[in-house]
Amino acid sequence: MSKVTILRLLATCAFAALLTACGGDSEQTATTEVQDVTQEVQEFYAANPELITFATPEDLPNDLIWEDGMDLPDIGSPEAKKGGTYYDWLEDFPPTLRPTGPDSNSSARNWVSEYFSLTYASPHPDVEGLIPGVAQSWAVSTERKTVYVKIHPDARWTDDVPITADDALFAFFFYLSDYIQAPFTTNYFKNEFSNITKYDDLTFSVTVTRLKPDMATIVLWMPPVPQHFYKELGEDYPERYQWRYAPHAGPYYLQESDIDMGVRLVLRRKENWWAEDHRYYRYRFNPDRISLTVIRDTAKRYESFRRGDLDLYELRTAELWYDETSDTEADVANGYLHKSTFYNQYPRTSWGLWMNSSRPLLDNVDVRLGIQYAINWDVVLRSYFRGDLERLKRQNQGYPEFEHPDLPPRPFDIDKAVAHFGSAGFTERGPDGILVNEQGQRLSFTLSTHYERFSDVFTILKEEAIKAGLEFRIEMMDGAAGFRKALEKQHDMYFVGFVQSPGLYPELSQHMHSKYAYDQAFLEDGSINPDRKVIAQGNNLEVIADYELDQLIDQYIASEDREEMRDLAFQIQQIHYDHASYSPGFVEPFYRTGYWRWVRWPEGFNSKTTVMARELFVHWIDEEMKGETLEARVKGQAFELVNEVYDQYRIE
Amino acid sequence: MSFFRPNPQTVKKLRRFREIKRGYYSFIILIIFLLLSLLGELLVNNRAIAVSYQGELYFPTYSAFHPGTDFGLDYPYETNYRELQQVFEDSGSEDWVLMPPVPYSPFENDASSGIFRPEPPSIENKHFLGTDTTSRDILARLFYGTRIALVFSLGFMASVYLIGVMVGCAMGYFGGVFDIISQRLIEIWSNVPFLYMVIIVFSVIPDTFTVNMRILILLTVMVLFSWTSMTYYMRTETYKEKVRDYVSAARIMGASNSRIVFRHILPNVLSTLVTFMPFTIVSAISAITALDFLGFGLPPPTPSLGELLKQGTQTLRTAPWIVTSAFGTLVILLTLVTFIGEAIRESFDPKKFTVYK
Repeated sequence: MSKVTILRLLATCAFAALLTACGGDSEQTATTEVQDVTQEVQEFYAANPELITFATPEDLPNDLIWEDGMDLPDIGSPEAKKGGTYYDWLEDFPPTLRPTGPDSNSSARNWVSEYFSLTYASPHPDVEGLIPGVAQSWAVSTERKTVYVKIHPDARWTDDVPITADDALFAFFFYLSDYIQAPFTTNYFKNEFSNITKYDDLTFSVTVTRLKPDMATIVLWMPPVPQHFYKELGEDYPERYQWRYAPHAGPYYLQESDIDMGVRLVLRRKENWWAEDHRYYRYRFNPDRISLTVIRDTAKRYESFRRGDLDLYELRTAELWYDETSDTEADVANGYLHKSTFYNQYPRTSWGLWMNSSRPLLDNVDVRLGIQYAINWDVVLRSYFRGDLERLKRQNQGYPEFEHPDLPPRPFDIDKAVAHFGSAGFTERGPDGILVNEQGQRLSFTLSTHYERFSDVFTILKEEAIKAGLEFRIEMMDGAAGFRKALEKQHDMYFVGFVQSPGLYPELSQHMHSKYAYDQAFLEDGSINPDRKVIAQGNNLEVIADYELDQLIDQYIASEDREEMRDLAFQIQQIHYDHASYSPGFVEPFYRTGYWRWVRWPEGFNSKTTVMARELFVHWIDEEMKGETLEARVKGQAFELVNEVYDQYRIE
Repeated sequence: MSFFRPNPQTVKKLRRFREIKRGYYSFIILIIFLLLSLLGELLVNNRAIAVSYQGELYFPTYSAFHPGTDFGLDYPYETNYRELQQVFEDSGSEDWVLMPPVPYSPFENDASSGIFRPEPPSIENKHFLGTDTTSRDILARLFYGTRIALVFSLGFMASVYLIGVMVGCAMGYFGGVFDIISQRLIEIWSNVPFLYMVIIVFSVIPDTFTVNMRILILLTVMVLFSWTSMTYYMRTETYKEKVRDYVSAARIMGASNSRIVFRHILPNVLSTLVTFMPFTIVSAISAITALDFLGFGLPPPTPSLGELLKQGTQTLRTAPWIVTSAFGTLVILLTLVTFIGEAIRESFDPKKFTVYK
């Protein structure tokens, strides 16, 4: 998880909290006995006066310059109409509605929490600067390493309880508690913040441990946590809150009657949402209802879209874009189905192959290097993606200042691959052309993934790898089971992409620090701990455990100096590159979307930093047009063909 | 009575089977296909049948792989024999390559345009049924997919019969407590849902197993949950035969239980067995196709009818030849087996009477 992801996670948590408030008694587990954590929270506050401080408004420094972020451009279009139902899909039913804890990082996570939960403030999606959310204004004091926040007096949870500074304080108790079983988040809170002070019911300040260049974002891009909802927090949190939708500050909520287990979720827009006239939210979140149906099968999902059951579909594969929805296709040609290509600017999703360097054979760097040269991404890009996509350069691409300039991704090169495999002892080819070592072991690894839409990519890679004497066994899994396998580090190689956090500099710890792979990788003196155990949480899918690298990452996180951070980032990237356990895959410099004519968009389609068309909810459903289009479709009336390219943010 | 020297009854049945032309010819066609498929590597393969290079003959089909360097090419991986053929022709040397009629393997991507996408059937490119979504030859994939399905179903049938007949006969022959207990156990066992078991078993077997191992496991699981139905018929039949005089006679002469069951009773209940066989095969083919279609069958990129069908349904509009080929093959295959089954059932029908003209 990158820092941003964490922040989003937190945001999600708040959202989930919100949800719960809406479905107050949606508890479906057996754990119903009353439990109250309030006393414990108070004791925690009392026991940690350094961390949680209570002050009076008079204690606020006088030299603060308050900002409200209200001078940035609008988001969305003033033409947007409210109303209607927006139909979309879920890859899988969420395994839980909790925004934190076990299983909460599921494919439905965005819908359950991230899209709608409001943080104190968040980066503007088009320009630099923060836009207010739950906060009305804030002030940054660099010498005190502190951000002061005033909560909007109107701010309400989705269950209409006012949001106060107590919820901000409670967030610290919540995320620092072991109950939530989210070590990464807990760790993040421990390391990132040193104090929170409450001045009055709506004012508080947060002090960070390090003076990072984006300190304000770190503090403000965090949601409050509804204390009243988590009153029953305890050891049984995962079970107790499994199916409670947590209240949040955002526009949509989920009520128990709208949960059709395993089938569908329907989110409703809150009437008189507290921020509905807010400058940055008034043109967004337009549909009255959002209906999400679980459709696990990719083909079926697409067919549902073509039938008109889904309003929008990402036409990501070349096949869908060029063949299935070509401009001569009736629905497209007649203008019922619109298409758009939108070039975005965003740190790039890290699509690639993650090799588990703790597995036999893969623990040999020569084997890994050989694999790097045996993976033919070029033919995938050229022949399968038809030249539309580009090769990803590194795991953290999209932070220009912090990217090592001379670490090019390794190309497909049979000679080099064979040479590296040779140094690892694989010198002979077996009767099927796969390399074998002296012990008779075949050079064969399982390539697992849950991305069904890319399944053809793996069969191509497999065929190409055979040329270098390497065999891949392909294992297609379903989403939840597959990703769990990777998190438990049971994979040989896993194909996955992590969304990177937007920001100035990359988050380099979650995939490389040993603490996200092992419980305790090293002893005090830096030697390998013989009793270390692989942990089942944490995103270090390459299972990198390098003492020196850990030190560098810790320094990088601690560093307050931009130059120093950059140098450290380069060193970290160099070590990661030499470790050779990640094969960068491909980059989509744009996203392509298909949608029905009745789904309307702002003039420039979307915001610069979006990765998916739906993400900011700037679109709206025109019910009138829907009727008109469906009727025309029956009668065979044609409209204008729409296949737009929005390249205003294209980087050449 | 012997298994190997057919009695006049059996001969009559066989003659009757041959007279039912539809079934008989279906049988012949299927046998021919089965034989051909056993030699499939010579018919559908990207390895050449024979290569003559610098006066020496190579037969790469069943041998270990030949790196390109063996034939004067510059790469260390498996020779691309189609290209080699071209190279030899262009160079005008005396070397030659004899390719199979379908010169593609079911795994390789071969796109004429350089872009992996379904291409329609083309005699010129020797993609007689076109290519699939990643430009693999459909005929090759169908051929090997069908072979796997057929071998699988034959293995399935043999195993199911072996277990079903043994247990069924034992139940019928010994009767009493053994019969009652076995029946109850079978009733319980046959209620375990088979599809779930397959899914569960496949989710726990280690991914390091080879494809053949996985096929074997799939076969075992399917057999484990399918042998029960056979026992009911065998049990009834054995009960019926057990009280016949010839069984008593054999017993008086001192024949052992196993001799009575296998040498005396079994040949007499064969007709029941035989009539079920084709339908068992049909169900096995359907089952493995369905499992592949659902993604619980053989791991990619193993060629299979189910996988092709799935691709076909995804590209109904853009590449109808995929679904047509897969569906057509399935229909033909199942029809042939069903015709054979019908014919067998009819020729073994005891109600068959003769009409004097």
